[in-house]
Amino acid sequence: MYADLLHSLPEVLGLANFFAVVIGVIAGIVVGAMPGLSATMAISVLVPFTFGLEPLVALGLMAGIYNGAMYGGAIPAVLLRIPGTPAAVATTFDGFPMAQKGEGGFALQVAVVSSAIGGIASAFALMLLAPPLSQVTLLFGPAEVFWVAVFGLCSIVFLLGGSPIKGLISACFGVFVSVVGSDPIYGADRFTFGQLELLDGISIVILLVGLYALPPVIDLLEMPLKAEALTGSKLGTESIWRALPRMRRFWKTWLRSSLIGIWIGILPGAGGSMAAFMSYNEARRASSTPETWGNGEPEGVAASETANNADTASALIPALTLGIPGTAVAAVMLGGLLVHGLQPGPMLFRENPDVVFGFMWQFLFGAILLIFLGGSLATNSFARLLKLPRPLLGSVIIVLMVIGVYSIHGRMFDVYLMLGFGAVGYVMDKLKFPLPPVVLGLILGAFAEENLRLALRIGRGDWTTLFANTTSLVLVALTLAVILGPTVKRRFFRARDTGKEN
Amino acid sequence: MPESPLSRLCRPESLTAIVIIAAAAAFLVPTAALRPISALLPAAMLVGLMVLSLVLLVSDQRKAAAGEAAEPMAAAPKRVIGAFLLIFGYAISVDFVGFYASTAVAIPLVAYAFGFRNLLGLVVATLIVVSAIYLVFDFAMSLGFPSGRLWRS
Repeated sequence: MYADLLHSLPEVLGLANFFAVVIGVIAGIVVGAMPGLSATMAISVLVPFTFGLEPLVALGLMAGIYNGAMYGGAIPAVLLRIPGTPAAVATTFDGFPMAQKGEGGFALQVAVVSSAIGGIASAFALMLLAPPLSQVTLLFGPAEVFWVAVFGLCSIVFLLGGSPIKGLISACFGVFVSVVGSDPIYGADRFTFGQLELLDGISIVILLVGLYALPPVIDLLEMPLKAEALTGSKLGTESIWRALPRMRRFWKTWLRSSLIGIWIGILPGAGGSMAAFMSYNEARRASSTPETWGNGEPEGVAASETANNADTASALIPALTLGIPGTAVAAVMLGGLLVHGLQPGPMLFRENPDVVFGFMWQFLFGAILLIFLGGSLATNSFARLLKLPRPLLGSVIIVLMVIGVYSIHGRMFDVYLMLGFGAVGYVMDKLKFPLPPVVLGLILGAFAEENLRLALRIGRGDWTTLFANTTSLVLVALTLAVILGPTVKRRFFRARDTGKEN
Repeated sequence: MPESPLSRLCRPESLTAIVIIAAAAAFLVPTAALRPISALLPAAMLVGLMVLSLVLLVSDQRKAAAGEAAEPMAAAPKRVIGAFLLIFGYAISVDFVGFYASTAVAIPLVAYAFGFRNLLGLVVATLIVVSAIYLVFDFAMSLGFPSGRLWRS
């Protein structure tokens, strides 16, 4: 099982594949350093450009961006108290006070080393856990695959937090979009309204770019950020190797936060921000000097940054094995895999071991490269990015979005469709409808339908075939647990609180 | 002062729910022409959308009745509308006038309209971006861009 992991290493170390990770990490740090831009958005914009690339080059870029952006978010979080990505919110708690005390350079060095450690731990978790989990899914038939899809959708809707009604609306919308086009079995047109462009269905890339790239661009133009807090002077960082001995005392935090980040990453629906908050709280609780936290405690930066990078690769464990992404970025990456004809699941490990295991190595190298590419000299340069005029940046991203989507099939219809999804995405974003269920609905909808119909055909139209074996029943039970769990938990805590009050 | 029934329905969430119900109902019509098994999933999703939106509508109306103010969708609505208009205008212009001409105008126009007023910076940035696009996508990747429907006819 793990032999393939070693066999894939030489290919990853090839010039093009390795260079892709380097470029990805740099691009990721740049994107993460810009408040308002996120790894999800960057990968969404990137996916259409990767069509013509070798899968490992494309995946290397994505892995690099993901790792880089998670660290990049710390730069404005420390310097401006504005998190570059949502996952960097907890970094502001101690990072900004450190910058105010003239320790901004050290705060960023702690952030980069902690991010790298979190990323390395996460990559190892992916390497160790994904292959055996993929073997389990080999036992699945069409009915089980259908239930896996239902379980995946329900997990992301109900565990994501927020309103389950809005989550369900998002999921229904995603599944509905997945059925547009020709019926997979009878070939009947569904909701194409005579448009030949819709016969093959709606490309996930169009949906991704619209949903994830347009709303942040509108936000960029709506509220141009003035980076007045940042002075033009250098941060005054010393060599990262000289700063390392001062960080040795964080080893327990690095370990604890890595485990928290990996666990949160595996859970569908949770994300980097939850990992960072949980890890920050746990580290403060374990600290012998909790009173210094919030006033510029470097360990706080270490806790937050380790955890938000530790959920990167681990979010791909359920995504690569079951097709259920742990985070929004993982959902977008799943789309990136699909455009290269790589269907997540056990067959991915059997048919494309070089690609899937190579992807895991790329995550590891991306994390290690963070230290070299995000070191003191680079950090000074990345900090200057905050001065880029945001309206100009917004206009360039719009052009890239149009180019990316147009290049898929060379037709303007896709661009209009993307803008339509963008408008829908903007409204959903503002009204707090979660976006990951839409993407997952599109990915799993067609998959679920195909397997449902296949299962019904095998069972000659008998619906009980969906509940005919133990695996299906276990999956149904898990789905019910995911749906009812949060409500039961809420009621339990409410009853306990009421009991205490009485 | 309590909101009027009409203004209550104009709350962003209620309005969205109404639009979803109407759109889902409209999409439900063509499912009647499909085989039952082909219509199963789309019809289920559309009915699901209608029911869930109805729940959302009722819950938002209850909040309105309780005097809870709706959160505004945008801090600067005019800028948002302007951004959407410029982006859609750019796409239409790419389609009808052509990619390079539209891009050369859109980049400085959008940046200028939204606050970047350094003329030299605008010219330099536009030149760099358009040239880079030409070199990378047109020249190196042989990716053809729309030349404009107007010139074709």
